[in-house]
Amino acid sequence: MRAAERLGERTERLGGWAGRCGGRVERLALPLGVALTVAALTLVFYYPVGSVLIEAVVRGGRLTATPLLDVLANPFYTGVAHHLFADLWGVPAGTIEWVRAGFRPVEFGLFGFTTYQALLSTLASVALGLPGAYLLARYEFRGRRLVRSLTILPFVLPSIMVAVGFLAMFGRNGTLNDLLGTVGFGPVDALFTLEIVVLAHAFYNAPLVVRLVAAAWEGVDARRVETARALGASPARAVRDVVLPRVLPALLTAALLAFVFTFMSFPIVLALGGLRLATVEVWLFARVRDLELAEAATLGAIETALSVALIYLYLRYEAHQADAGTGGTALARRPLLAGWRTLRDPLRMGLLAYAALALVVFVGPLSSLLVESVTGPGGKLTAAYYEFLFAQQSATAVGTTKPLPAIVNSLVFGVGTLLLAVPMGIVVSVVATRGGPGSRAAETVLSASLAVSGIVVGLGLLRTLVFGTRILGRRIVLTGAVVIVLAHAVAAYPFVSRNLTPALGRLDPRFTDAARSLGASPLRALIDVELPLVAPAVLAGAAFAFAISIGEFDSTVLLAEGVSSYTMPVALERYIGNRSLGPSLGPATAMGTVLLLVTAVSFVAIDRLGGRWEP
Amino acid sequence: MLAGCTGTGDGDAGNGNGKAGTPSEAGDGSTETSTAGTTNTAGGTAGSGETTGTAGDSPSGTLTVATYSSFTGEGTAGNWLKSAFEETYPGTTVEFVTPDNGVNRYIQRRSQGAPIDADLYVGLNTDELVRADRELEEPLFRSVANRLDRADTVKDALRIDPEGRAIPYDTGYISLVYSEDEVDDPNSFDALLEPAYENALIAENAQQSDPGRAFLFWTIIAKGADGYLDYWQGLVDNGVQILADWEPAYQAYLDGEAPMVVSYSTDQVFYHGEDVDMSRHRIGFLNDQGYANPEAMALFEGTEQAALARRFVDFALTEEAQAEIAVRNVQFPAVEGVEPGAEFSKYALEPPEPVTMTYDELSGSVETWVEQWARQIAGG
Amino acid sequence: MGAVTRARDGSAGDRTAAGVELAGVGVSFDGVRALEDLSIAVAAGEFFTLVGPSGCGKTTALRTVAGFETPDAGRVRIGDTDVTGTPPEQRGVGIVFQHYALFEHMTARENVAYGLRFADPPGGVDRADRVDELLALVDMAGLGERDPAALSGGQKQRIALARALAPGPDVLLLDEPLSALDARLRERLRVRVGEIQRALGITTIYVTHDQAEALAISDRVAVMCDGRIEQVDTPERVYREPASRFVAEFVGDNNVFEARVTATEPPTASVAGVDAALPLPRGTSVGAGEPVTLCVRPEAIRFEGGETTLDATVASAEFLGDAYRLHCDWHGHTLLAKTDARRTPGETVQLGVDAADVRVL
Repeated sequence: MRAAERLGERTERLGGWAGRCGGRVERLALPLGVALTVAALTLVFYYPVGSVLIEAVVRGGRLTATPLLDVLANPFYTGVAHHLFADLWGVPAGTIEWVRAGFRPVEFGLFGFTTYQALLSTLASVALGLPGAYLLARYEFRGRRLVRSLTILPFVLPSIMVAVGFLAMFGRNGTLNDLLGTVGFGPVDALFTLEIVVLAHAFYNAPLVVRLVAAAWEGVDARRVETARALGASPARAVRDVVLPRVLPALLTAALLAFVFTFMSFPIVLALGGLRLATVEVWLFARVRDLELAEAATLGAIETALSVALIYLYLRYEAHQADAGTGGTALARRPLLAGWRTLRDPLRMGLLAYAALALVVFVGPLSSLLVESVTGPGGKLTAAYYEFLFAQQSATAVGTTKPLPAIVNSLVFGVGTLLLAVPMGIVVSVVATRGGPGSRAAETVLSASLAVSGIVVGLGLLRTLVFGTRILGRRIVLTGAVVIVLAHAVAAYPFVSRNLTPALGRLDPRFTDAARSLGASPLRALIDVELPLVAPAVLAGAAFAFAISIGEFDSTVLLAEGVSSYTMPVALERYIGNRSLGPSLGPATAMGTVLLLVTAVSFVAIDRLGGRWEP
Repeated sequence: MLAGCTGTGDGDAGNGNGKAGTPSEAGDGSTETSTAGTTNTAGGTAGSGETTGTAGDSPSGTLTVATYSSFTGEGTAGNWLKSAFEETYPGTTVEFVTPDNGVNRYIQRRSQGAPIDADLYVGLNTDELVRADRELEEPLFRSVANRLDRADTVKDALRIDPEGRAIPYDTGYISLVYSEDEVDDPNSFDALLEPAYENALIAENAQQSDPGRAFLFWTIIAKGADGYLDYWQGLVDNGVQILADWEPAYQAYLDGEAPMVVSYSTDQVFYHGEDVDMSRHRIGFLNDQGYANPEAMALFEGTEQAALARRFVDFALTEEAQAEIAVRNVQFPAVEGVEPGAEFSKYALEPPEPVTMTYDELSGSVETWVEQWARQIAGG
Repeated sequence: MGAVTRARDGSAGDRTAAGVELAGVGVSFDGVRALEDLSIAVAAGEFFTLVGPSGCGKTTALRTVAGFETPDAGRVRIGDTDVTGTPPEQRGVGIVFQHYALFEHMTARENVAYGLRFADPPGGVDRADRVDELLALVDMAGLGERDPAALSGGQKQRIALARALAPGPDVLLLDEPLSALDARLRERLRVRVGEIQRALGITTIYVTHDQAEALAISDRVAVMCDGRIEQVDTPERVYREPASRFVAEFVGDNNVFEARVTATEPPTASVAGVDAALPLPRGTSVGAGEPVTLCVRPEAIRFEGGETTLDATVASAEFLGDAYRLHCDWHGHTLLAKTDARRTPGETVQLGVDAADVRVL
């Protein structure tokens, strides 16, 4: 009989039964993950931020539109658009008059200028990042992996250090003008202009473009390009038809993030551009400082509404872009240098020119910072700033900010954030890719931490967790290391999910189906199959999570309990105010250099460790 | 009733753990019943009882001092004060807390009904005091001037608080620092509008920077409340740069972005010596003035360590402490007739005519002044 | 077939091949009906094929058995168990997809072993032995350490099959498993799949759009169209006795005509625009003047003899190796015919048709 021929008798699957009982627990893991993520978000994000933003719409216990209208109908904030809120019915007549008067130039107010500079900054970030992504994804050269690991460095640098680096690089007596001088050009007065602010924003955000786009580019299936070429497409056409559809979502994600970030930028604007280039966030900060919280909340609410709307629209667009393709074979990298042939290849020469530009924009300010850390006021070489760090380390006075604990805390918080933000990001991505019709709205809500001004978050944390909330007559205060890591994770996980959602969306669902049919629960299928298959995206997200944590300042300084849980950026900030070597940014630049080195080593380590996990 | 309450607080100073949670809540509750108006008189009537408190020889307990971060740490004025105070009064401990948003932290705490976890605030500005009073129904600080031994030794010009809550312990003078190789001392506000000073000045944002705000107030003193905006428009037209704060502004100055910067008249205390080019560290007083920015100490309303805190303030006003604070904090002493030492006196320059905005002048106007100024700069 | 029958020879305690039953199953995607009141009963140990054009719902039906789609109507049973709401991992099914879906971050061996993480190997054997056994079964012994990227398409599909079988599933589901392979390999592997299925006696549901494959491999075939079953039967009967015009045209080559009955004794019918009448099988109970759909397989058309002869012209000829397939023009209708002899286009031929070879639908 057939059954007798069977290869291996099928016994009652006891193991299977055990798996089934365990499976029930596993099945709860995803809802539980969602619940925990939402709980963490609520605790360190929605509740604190809500406590601030509610001031924009509630006055004296009543709903009101007054603060909102006060801002929107104020020409200082909205320029010509204020008519829409101040006198809607007068708009047609006003427009006609404006046309008759010969299209006088119009002002768009603080919001208009902020949008304008954010658009420019986004364009600059893309222009500076895209060739870098192409170079890293498609060319092989010595040190490529190292460069790739280090692209993220600008991301962690406190703005005041960027200002120092830019001053030394692009200032009147900076390296660039020295270089230009030797070839008979210049000097260029670049500082305190919109251009330098835009460049500094690109310095921060181009790495985002490089990382996200390079990861997507590496995911392009070589066979599809070959198919297109075989069908008669020129190389350029193949890029347009096959590579671009794959790379575009990542590029737009990066551009979106860059826009939202530069829209809410302010320390860089003030440090390199001055008050005359003020953004909405500058005003928000001033309002907070003057404790005019209703107006601050209103500005924050408008910023948030704009950013959330943008994110939602983008996510809807992205949902239509998802194409199910298998991982396939990655495109082979070409050698960047091809001997003498290099000189005749316009593409390679272009990339080399780009490398030179990147050297000026990225390496210039960073290395200037290094140089500043060993240069005294007279321009002489000095080790004083590093001696300062050692002196701080061995100091016995209470309240001394020591470098070593700062490094250790930063790394501990960074790893903690990574361990928390990666699962949170995964949960959000899973909701986004599997959740059905409302999933885009859900992801938007869950990604809202990108869209809220850091100042508003800080203020909210202060008013809720730090000051404490009265629950049943007891004041509950939540501060300390755990809450810091939680706050970092909330700030960081959108980077994980933004990397992961498109990758998971593109993954052929049959991988999961195959795993499920073999007995894997959804959770196991996720862990065993889906995540390893999108490992590069997970890794990129993890690296960002770590970077966000390392660079985070606002909530760290608020939530640090006592004086002991300071991080590298906090220590750096405190050294700025330290006058023991006179008023000098020297000690801060030394700490900044330490921050850069520690971060650089961490990233090389993350990439090496994570690289093993890549398929 | 209030006197009794204060008395209890003083008596409690003996056991240094009164700050743990609920007792301070109760303390808050009882003191908050007093109104701003009665505080002064209550303080006065309690004066006699207080003398015994001060006479009691060995105070003990922990004093929590809130301040800015650069006041503490190795080699700072704060650290010297702590050691010297603890040495003078064995059994006492001084602890510093350094909230990053300064006194705003405590204004917000008070307005939200959160406990104030400190006894004394060190580093209070006039306009911060104005802000605290504007924001809060109940006072954040208590009046102490007439219960201190040394309050009357503070220079008259620096007495910023008519209610005797904020006691100045040092002051800086806002001035210009300029490079004499590139520009001459402008000497006057009007000169800054001349072509010779085109693109020559870096100032700080008054919305968020102390020297920036002080410089703005100084222009209001010089040009009047109805003239300062026009004056600033002139500065903007002549290419003034307004940067975030003192550090980036001074860094830009050091890097040669402009030959003048709004800074402090103690600049040379830091920058002198053989290898320093002193030509880049000239002090310019405009209209022969310098804007005094006194720093004050104030006791939090509701502290249970009032006696210890007063003792600390008095200690900071002693001649020795004044000299140490001046040198270590690189500010001028607040007490009349204190000599911080030859080197300090040589390099720290005092303006011929110190000016400052008083509490009453700032009160009710300061926010409008700053707001209008900022709108003009950013909108222009 | 009604109820699921279970294999008779399983000794007590042993799991035996389980039948599969879909009863009145309906599945919709975003309001679009993909399956409508679908009922299928697959016997234990049977090789059952769902065949139909793309979009007919065959893959949806398979995925419903696997548990990847949730029916909004009807029940799904495997063996005696109602699994309608059971998640895929608890159904005891193995599935193989067209594009293999091998886990690229695992070696071939690890792929095969994956299902054994969740279930003990059948028969209480060691996991490693079970994997070796399966690799040998699909003729891949010795290639287990390779990464999927280093395997050919056929090898990948063998590994996918081994992976699906490793945990000893009750049912094997094959979703166009051979469609991505070249023709010769496809046929070779098809034979091997059949052998393995018979050796294991495992209930198998096979989905394909290739009717020839369906006929070649199956115990029974279900022809599907628009989410419904057109016919379920043995390959022979589906081929010879199609239940509908759709089946007649979809399964194999066929000549299908809409005709009208012209006489009843013996029954004949004529096709529009053609004078000659076609014979109908004896016993066809239709009244004169009634419309009928009738079909004649190409191989039933003869070039000599026949009860009725049709005059036609050769339009084109294809050489198939063992025969020629002719497209003949018959009064504006195309007639497909098969012949051993070469014919040239333009040649006039007389085609013979026997009444017994004509099927009325």
